[in-house]
Amino acid sequence: MIEEIFLLTLRILEFPLYGEVKVRDLILAILVIIIAAIIAKFISMSLRRSLTDKMRKDQLELLLKFVYATILLFAFASVTPILGVNLTGLLVAGGIVGIAIGFASQKVVSNFLSGLFLIAERPIKIGDQIIVENVAGYVEDMSIMSTIVRTYDGLYVRIPNEKLFSSNITNPIANVARRFDYQMSIRYGDDVNKAIEIIRKVIEDYPFALKIPEPRVFVDNLGDSGFNIVARIWTPSGVWLEVKMDLLLKIKLELEKNGIEISLPQRVIWFGKSEKKSA
Amino acid sequence: MYGSYKLRDLNIEINDIRIWTEYDGFYRYKRRSRESEIEKILLNDSEILLNPVEPVNLPKKITNYLFLHFEKPLVVEPDLSVEIFLTFPIEIGVFAVKDGLFEDIDIFSFVRPKFTLYGEPRGGTIARYWKTEVFNKIPEINVLEMGVMKLKILNMSDSWCEVSKAVFDVHGMKIYYNSNMVSSIAEMRIHSKRVAETSFFDRPIFENMKTAIELYTTRKIPILSTKFTMEWGT
Repeated sequence: MIEEIFLLTLRILEFPLYGEVKVRDLILAILVIIIAAIIAKFISMSLRRSLTDKMRKDQLELLLKFVYATILLFAFASVTPILGVNLTGLLVAGGIVGIAIGFASQKVVSNFLSGLFLIAERPIKIGDQIIVENVAGYVEDMSIMSTIVRTYDGLYVRIPNEKLFSSNITNPIANVARRFDYQMSIRYGDDVNKAIEIIRKVIEDYPFALKIPEPRVFVDNLGDSGFNIVARIWTPSGVWLEVKMDLLLKIKLELEKNGIEISLPQRVIWFGKSEKKSA
Repeated sequence: MYGSYKLRDLNIEINDIRIWTEYDGFYRYKRRSRESEIEKILLNDSEILLNPVEPVNLPKKITNYLFLHFEKPLVVEPDLSVEIFLTFPIEIGVFAVKDGLFEDIDIFSFVRPKFTLYGEPRGGTIARYWKTEVFNKIPEINVLEMGVMKLKILNMSDSWCEVSKAVFDVHGMKIYYNSNMVSSIAEMRIHSKRVAETSFFDRPIFENMKTAIELYTTRKIPILSTKFTMEWGT
């Protein structure tokens, strides 16, 4: 019985598929590809573990993809003779087929080329915050066909590279420093010079409000309800939002501590009758 | 304050900062200051080392550059080499030590951090800001707040140069300390009116000083270059 199974297995393995290629060749090729994929995965994981602290995330991702693809490419190249495929012929055929596929799938080719241009131009990288049309968030991954963005509210958005390449990309952290403005209104009865001094002091004491470029605090205009004061503050781009959210409250509390109030909308009404009397 | 302690004996109070340990089955390392509080659990009664570290970690690490702004600019004649003394801010690292392995468990400072931009927003550098006087001899300063930097300035250009700042990559910073002083030695090579190169030397101002444990060595961060090119002016 066992002998029969063994003979049957041998017969299956020796069964010719095409040309001189037999079932065993196909199984061997599949095994090589699977083993190569496992090795590639293992090497990628080891590299990720050892390099996470030492490389920028975008560079690491690029390196891992390159290593993974190279190992698989070598495995594929090594099994083609087993499968009786002539690589030179494959390249020629691939070229012709490629043109045909290119015409048939312009969008895919366009996405692919856009991906290459994005990698070369590098307007964004993994980890950056971007705004593209109505999508704003963090770049999670960049592949050759598409870019994955995690929006600020946690949604997964896949943007085809063609769209990304032809859109206006705003990268709020591409420059190392970024400015924001506050507009505050204080009552006419308050000492505006003292208010400006207090605001300057709070900004000066705040670590991430940059010393250079110097923050500017000034009376922008005389509003309906009080002095409109503008504060222009530069911060490191990476902490821009954090500083913007934190500093305003600190300024308000410090102003209040010194008896300076944010003005409320008010209107002075003069009654004609009483004016006549006084005249 | 700098030096080794047994975790169970840790009890330091200086100005508004207090560091102490409580034991309730675990060793609880605690630090309280005006602006923050920290508590960490250590399983064993480890050795604790306090020493000055590269001053770019507070309130959180966003850069590895230090910008020393001279209170008065220095005018340096061509082909001149001069040594001056500056101050730099100090951050104090608390390390747990075992068999020569160090782990930073806390960083605090007696001085308020401030940051600045060196250069332009596009292509410039964010750096820790510190205003310093320029001294011609070692100044007497608070060893917990400031360190002394001996800076050798070499004007290699053929023109007079005005120097009002020095920017360093602290990945290459070598800090030495004893009970009276924290020190570092650096060099600035001026190539032209706008371009200079800065780097640190690995030696103390005085012979008997201890080498500070550096954060970037203990965290095993690979350091490719310890020099910084100041291309946005000196």
